[in-house]
Amino acid sequence: MKPVTVEKILLEFDPEQGNILPVLKRINAAFGYVSETDAKKMADYFSVSLSHIFELASFYSLIGTKKDSDIVIKICSGTNCTVQGSSCLIAEVEKYFGIKAGDEFNPKVRLEVISCLGRCGEGPIMMVNGRIYTKVTVSGARDILENME
Amino acid sequence: MDNIKIITEHWDKIDPKKIADYVAVGGYETLRKFVCEADPASALQEIKKSGLLGRGGAGFPIGDKLELVASSNKKEKYFICNLDESEPGTYKDREIAKNNPHLLIEGIALASLIIGAKKAFIYLNGNYEEEEEILECALSQSIENGFIGEGILGSEYGLEMEVFQGAGAYICGEETALLNSIEGRRGEPRLRPPYPTDKGLWGHPTAIGNAETVSNFPWIIKNGGAEYSRIGSADSPGTKLYTLGGSVKNTGIFELPTGISIRDLIQKSGGGMMLGKEFWFAQIGGASGRLVLENELEEKLVLKKGAKIPLGSGAVLVVDKTVDIHDMILSWTGFFRRESCGKCVPCREGTFRLFEIAKRMNNGKMSERDKAAVSDILWALENTTFCPFGKFSATAFRDTVEKLNISNS
Ligand SMILES: Cc1cc2nc3c(=O)[nH]c(=O)nc-3n(C[C@H](O)[C@H](O)[C@H](O)COP(=O)(O)O)c2cc1C
Ligand code: SF4
Repeated sequence: MKPVTVEKILLEFDPEQGNILPVLKRINAAFGYVSETDAKKMADYFSVSLSHIFELASFYSLIGTKKDSDIVIKICSGTNCTVQGSSCLIAEVEKYFGIKAGDEFNPKVRLEVISCLGRCGEGPIMMVNGRIYTKVTVSGARDILENME
Repeated sequence: MDNIKIITEHWDKIDPKKIADYVAVGGYETLRKFVCEADPASALQEIKKSGLLGRGGAGFPIGDKLELVASSNKKEKYFICNLDESEPGTYKDREIAKNNPHLLIEGIALASLIIGAKKAFIYLNGNYEEEEEILECALSQSIENGFIGEGILGSEYGLEMEVFQGAGAYICGEETALLNSIEGRRGEPRLRPPYPTDKGLWGHPTAIGNAETVSNFPWIIKNGGAEYSRIGSADSPGTKLYTLGGSVKNTGIFELPTGISIRDLIQKSGGGMMLGKEFWFAQIGGASGRLVLENELEEKLVLKKGAKIPLGSGAVLVVDKTVDIHDMILSWTGFFRRESCGKCVPCREGTFRLFEIAKRMNNGKMSERDKAAVSDILWALENTTFCPFGKFSATAFRDTVEKLNISNS
């Protein structure tokens, strides 16, 4: 398989305003984030300013604008997951790695508190590098983290 | 008619990836009848007669909305199905897409043809990956079978339909923010007027309806609006998908008539409280909703505007006495801070300040200054923000302060 390039992704789409978000999502899926160089290519292709591309990319939580940490843990803090104990999970993960939720400077690991994913029946929800775990307990979270390394 | 199921009737009985299953239970019959014999005007009359109110939260009569767009003589019009669904604790629309996507597609087709739209969008929550696959599969099957596309079932009607997926932003559920998002702009709300029915997507008349709302259309047009209006509460008739969660025995989606009491929902559908858990309060309508105490459980769940306890998206969260209220306050304030779109100052700053205070409250470090600031912040959120999001962000906090007897030290 030939490697994907931004140019190739762009050519899949007509240069219409309505395609900007779909392209951002494709680039994010392919490379993990949208870099400034890629954003510049997009701005040229769609004939809009670089800031327009960036203000979109930074607006949506599913699109990143810089290289992410190696391990990304996301824990839902929606009302249902909270009733089911997600705040204990957040505390547990913070303790396990010695990090604070929301901090973005550690290239190895990052913990993000996220909004409801609509899986409230199976909460608390924890995601590790994109993989979703349901009904996670504190000891379950520990197991997941230990077995990941 | 207490047991009537309109939306969930065939869940579990049909394979969402097989259009034949849906057709076998009478699916697409209403659409067939519509394109072959009925005229859009009479279908619209049935929707209006049904008294169906929007299920997305605002509770506006959908018939009136469609009529505004139908009566416009502009050529280019759009229908958009709102499936952004990101109100915490709500996942009814997701279940519609997952269990019976063709019912949704048929409903969207009927709504679009009624207003004379040639193109419809499904704006799908960016996190709903499995549902995207199901919807794309269902859509291509309905095109292959002639229900969607040029010349529907050999008639003169044509309709293009497209799934447009968001990328994780709660505010994009607000209809004007949703329009901006499809147009490749930041998903921030627009000033109204002009309303989307007048100047919507790309400036053309657009009707936007929630996924649950339009899923009622096939039934209403088939059985008549009058029949529908007899279900449930007279001022907001029909069935409703309630998302029940929290400390009850059975959580999940329940289709029941409107107008049932909160207590009945918790007791009869939820099977009461989980073993050993004692009821504290319930939150009605997601993170944006009001808190209700034990003595308010007889309150009826209705969608009518101005209801004492707005039902909103239909989420009911039951909270028991073991839950730490500080966790809940952090959940609410954290959510609104994260999701504020930042367009207007009172909301951008207000949600931020409220979250900061909630953190200090959690650590027992709330100052006198914080206490004094809370009422000002709540007032600013309730009265000065650009869109209803700002107002929503104050609801649970205010109810916590005023209704729950907690010491805010
Ligand atoms: C902050 C905010 C979020 C909203 N989120 C949704 C949503 O996720 N889904 C939805 O259908 N409507 C949502 N709405 C309501 C829509 O603006 C709109 O009223 C609705 O989609 C119209 O459809 P209906 O008449 O069928 O309810 C939201 C409104 C606001 C103010
Ligand atoms: S109230 Fe909040 S969400 Fe609404 S426009 Fe203002 S900043 Fe954006």
